[in-house]
Amino acid sequence: MKGKPKPRARTAPPHAPEPAGAEHRWLGKSVPRLEDRKLLTGRALFTDDVDLPGMLHAALLRSDEAHARIKRIDASAARTREGVVAVYTAADLGDYWKPGPHLVPPPPVEGLVFHSCTQVPLAKDKVRHAGEALALVVAESRYIAEDALEDITVELEPLGAVTDLEAALEATSPLVHEQLGGNVAAKARQTKGDYAKAAARAHTIVRRRFRYDRGAAAAIENRGVVAQWDAKAEELTIWDTTQAPIPIRNGLAAMLGLRESQVRVVAPFIGGGFGPKIMMFYPEEVLVPWAAMRIGRPVKWIEDRRENFYATTQERLQIHDAEIAVAADGRILGVRDEFLFDTGAYDPYGLTIPINSQCTLLGCYRVPNYDSTFTAVFTNRPIVTPVRGAGRQHGVFVMERLLDLAARELKLDRVEIRRRNFLAPDDFPHDHGILFQDFRPLTYDSGRYAEAMDMAAQLIGYEQFVNEVQPGLRKAGRHVGLGIVSYIEGTGIGPYEGARVTIEPSGTVRVATGVGTQGQGHFTTFAQLVSDVLGMDPSKVQVITGDTREFGWGTGTFASRGAVVAGNAVYAAAQLVRKKVLDLASEALGAPRQALVLECGSVHVAGEPRRTVRLGDLALKANPLRGGVSPGTEPGLEATAYFGPERGNAANGVHAMIVEVDPETCQAAIRRYVVVHDCGTVINPMVVEAQVQGGVAAGIGNAFYEQLVWDENGQLLNASFMDYLLPTALDVPAVEMAHTVTPSPLNPLGTKGVGEAGAIPTAAAFAQAVEDALQGRVEITEAPLSPGRLFELIGDGWPVAGSGEDP
Amino acid sequence: MIVEGAYRFPAKREVIWELLLDPAVIAKTMPGTTEMVKVTHEKYAGKLRIGIGAITAAEFEVTVVLADVVPPERYTMLIDGQGKFGFTRGSALVELVADGAPGGESTQLHFRADMQVGGKIAGAGQRLLDSVGKLLTKQGLDALSREVNARLGSRGGGA
Amino acid sequence: MSARQGGGVPISLTVNGSPASRTVEPRLLLSDFLRHDLELTGTHVGCEHGVCGACTVLLDGEAVRSCLLFAVQADGHAIETVEGLAPGGGAGGREGDLHPLQAAFHAAHALQCGFCTPGFLMTLVPFLRENPDPDEHEIREALSGNLCRCTGYKNIVDAVALAARKPGADARGAA
Repeated sequence: MKGKPKPRARTAPPHAPEPAGAEHRWLGKSVPRLEDRKLLTGRALFTDDVDLPGMLHAALLRSDEAHARIKRIDASAARTREGVVAVYTAADLGDYWKPGPHLVPPPPVEGLVFHSCTQVPLAKDKVRHAGEALALVVAESRYIAEDALEDITVELEPLGAVTDLEAALEATSPLVHEQLGGNVAAKARQTKGDYAKAAARAHTIVRRRFRYDRGAAAAIENRGVVAQWDAKAEELTIWDTTQAPIPIRNGLAAMLGLRESQVRVVAPFIGGGFGPKIMMFYPEEVLVPWAAMRIGRPVKWIEDRRENFYATTQERLQIHDAEIAVAADGRILGVRDEFLFDTGAYDPYGLTIPINSQCTLLGCYRVPNYDSTFTAVFTNRPIVTPVRGAGRQHGVFVMERLLDLAARELKLDRVEIRRRNFLAPDDFPHDHGILFQDFRPLTYDSGRYAEAMDMAAQLIGYEQFVNEVQPGLRKAGRHVGLGIVSYIEGTGIGPYEGARVTIEPSGTVRVATGVGTQGQGHFTTFAQLVSDVLGMDPSKVQVITGDTREFGWGTGTFASRGAVVAGNAVYAAAQLVRKKVLDLASEALGAPRQALVLECGSVHVAGEPRRTVRLGDLALKANPLRGGVSPGTEPGLEATAYFGPERGNAANGVHAMIVEVDPETCQAAIRRYVVVHDCGTVINPMVVEAQVQGGVAAGIGNAFYEQLVWDENGQLLNASFMDYLLPTALDVPAVEMAHTVTPSPLNPLGTKGVGEAGAIPTAAAFAQAVEDALQGRVEITEAPLSPGRLFELIGDGWPVAGSGEDP
Repeated sequence: MIVEGAYRFPAKREVIWELLLDPAVIAKTMPGTTEMVKVTHEKYAGKLRIGIGAITAAEFEVTVVLADVVPPERYTMLIDGQGKFGFTRGSALVELVADGAPGGESTQLHFRADMQVGGKIAGAGQRLLDSVGKLLTKQGLDALSREVNARLGSRGGGA
Repeated sequence: MSARQGGGVPISLTVNGSPASRTVEPRLLLSDFLRHDLELTGTHVGCEHGVCGACTVLLDGEAVRSCLLFAVQADGHAIETVEGLAPGGGAGGREGDLHPLQAAFHAAHALQCGFCTPGFLMTLVPFLRENPDPDEHEIREALSGNLCRCTGYKNIVDAVALAARKPGADARGAA
């Protein structure tokens, strides 16, 4: 690989966490959320709650075929239905019709093969997945619009569907994009060291094929777009369930021929993001504003649940052929992995997911030699873009399973083999020598992996379980097992976010930032940061997120980066305001800056509480109607700051679980679930723990219940919650949690991300636990694992009661 | 989705053969058929309305094209059904075997249909497709049997 | 928003204690009626096939899925939605203005994005009325018909236990 950076000298981290002045009163506290009241009383605005005078409703005609040529679309009957205002097909869009922008360029990996084929607003000539949009109907109500869908005649000439990843690569396969001459979307190889040499001197090589299937994010709120064009003001307002309002505004302005300042995108309260809501530009995002401008009335489109299964992005299958070469003592000499990645019918999101898989596989371990190649394959299924975990799951599953299998062959304890391979606390920064999704070299900033493992093992009672508890249970004929795995989560990547902090004359502080919020608690956590810096109560800090009119620079919430990147921008802006406050107060109170204390929304001289001024009054003072603002200063008490980390940081953790498998039903019940997590500095422990608990629920779904079943014709067989099973309150245990705190040197707060952590290693822990429950009679190299599938795998292999022998 | 089975009729192959290919009989016996006409010698077109689970009245426009026709032994139906709830597409092989004594009065009908199902029905009706397929087939064959008996009866028996 | 297929049906019902009369299409869903005709957008729609529970409201005091009912079926009945739980709709700023369940959800951090929350609250009101002192398993069973993608349920279970200890937790709202 060319361009490998030179080894870094060990210097002090560039940004050591800075104290805020006063002690941290709010940082690290479980402050109850400021945004709850509106949500609890049903007064929070979600996208479908937007109601505008004259508003029309849209519905989309979607293809039933997975792969077909479009012979004819005739919408004339639909246009004559009473209540229908307009019907558009690809032909009606004229010049506006164009494939979406390519969102994420591939990283500069040597020898990269990459073909960009992005989604279109309405299918023209060909449909490439079941559910692809064929026409847009706009009518007086959604009911009428759906009636009109049935009036549209479509003639499709079915083509063979590309569904099997390996068959897709054969010369005889139908082609999703004919102009490519094949179904390869990309191929990328990253290497480090020399795996072949390492394998040659290995004591043991373990080689397996792993299949890891993902599913839908299935946020409880489906997607939606509302657009209103004010022809007099020449302004377009869009409400969108997006995780990235600013890029949506920029892109739509360009597409519609408007200035960015003419477009306002509002991401109001959003009922769960989890990844697919950052995909852009969905056909509906492109069509609804265009239709609103043409018709001259506001237009609303709200997705229904069945549409969500086809029209919202999801993650899917990866097939890994992987091997690990280990020394006799279990030390990893190298790993080689070749895998296939299903990108769906289009690939606007580039290679984020497979690169994450490739990088996350290395885990918390020292891996001196690595050779990883993936092929991204086009198929006739909906687009694949990141869903909570974004490909990290696959990497963790492969590595943790390989280690478990190697441990079994070497007759080594499975916790011990990990201990022998963990990076040590003074190994940082550790450059793995390959590129991460932010195009920077994959470099871990900090972590204490062995300590996390020890803590988790202790919490779950590992030693006692293995030596005493389990043998007893086995004698009693019960099949109980323990799984314990470690993982890395790369978080907090750039490019940047920004924030503006303003002290208003009322004494309230207003914070605006460009990221959106989908339940992560930004309204509270960002308020906490500002409160510490300015010495106030968080309830006096009003945070606005997701409105491009309030703040117009940034990217969005994804990749577990909100608190890290936007949080640090908020913190930096607050620091700048603090400086202005101190300067002004020093003058107003006639005291040097060092003698001033910020407390309870006021500034006073230390030891002299009556020499004080309220922040609100200072703000008024800073914005005079008479007198001048001196050169080099700014009016008011306001500052804007941006934060862009040098690279992403590495959060880590350990998941451990105890499961019991029922021989009659093959149901695996989780008896205990332990998470030890390290996300660096914690802003609000309550919020962090809830993110982990929620992530574990998603992980349990992925490990056991959730699988999108696509048949060989590209048809989805379980497009409803009756058949795509989400975990319920009976399926998700209360997670027992502990934290280690290893601050990141890459940002002043020392924070790392946590949004996806809970969801990442669950399947790996589950597989290990079930194998342990069945005493190794079954080898689990796939996820998810439904009771039916487990039944097939076990066959006659149920361990006999009381045997307790090692397989 | 595979639907297959066998049925015995108390009549000669030629009689059954004629009935199977008579659009009026098909309209009467195929469950849910609201229309069926013979467009050409080998092509039929019609409308079906059937219920599958939560979808109570899925309407289909159906075309059936006959292929590999060997009277009165066998034929293949290439079936294409399109509707707002989805589509179904596939082929069905129908074979008639004379049963009992040569020239005898009994025929075994064997059929095997391999159907692809797509759209909303595929997404929401999976658990029911097999059972619905079997049910409709049984209904259809029972109706055909009644029709056979009626025709035989109207010929004064013994034909 | 009415579904305008021809032929409106007049209906009269009470919603959160107040009378409401409208003419609606027979096929208009109760969830759409509440959200768009009555502008009570606190009830949310997650699946429209009765599985996720986000649309749960009370009909004559019992929890029902408003996405599975037509507005005409509510004629002559009493509907309660999340907006009716807190006295005065919770618009006042004080903690005591919330229904004990709402206050418990807040204290226990039982909501993240908040989209499923109204459905959980309305499911829990009759549950606590009938089970004033539930154990954890009973709580989880009661919640098993409501899906949440954010919280992993733990804090919701804690909130219910917390609310059960408070007086008036089974009270219906301002109705």
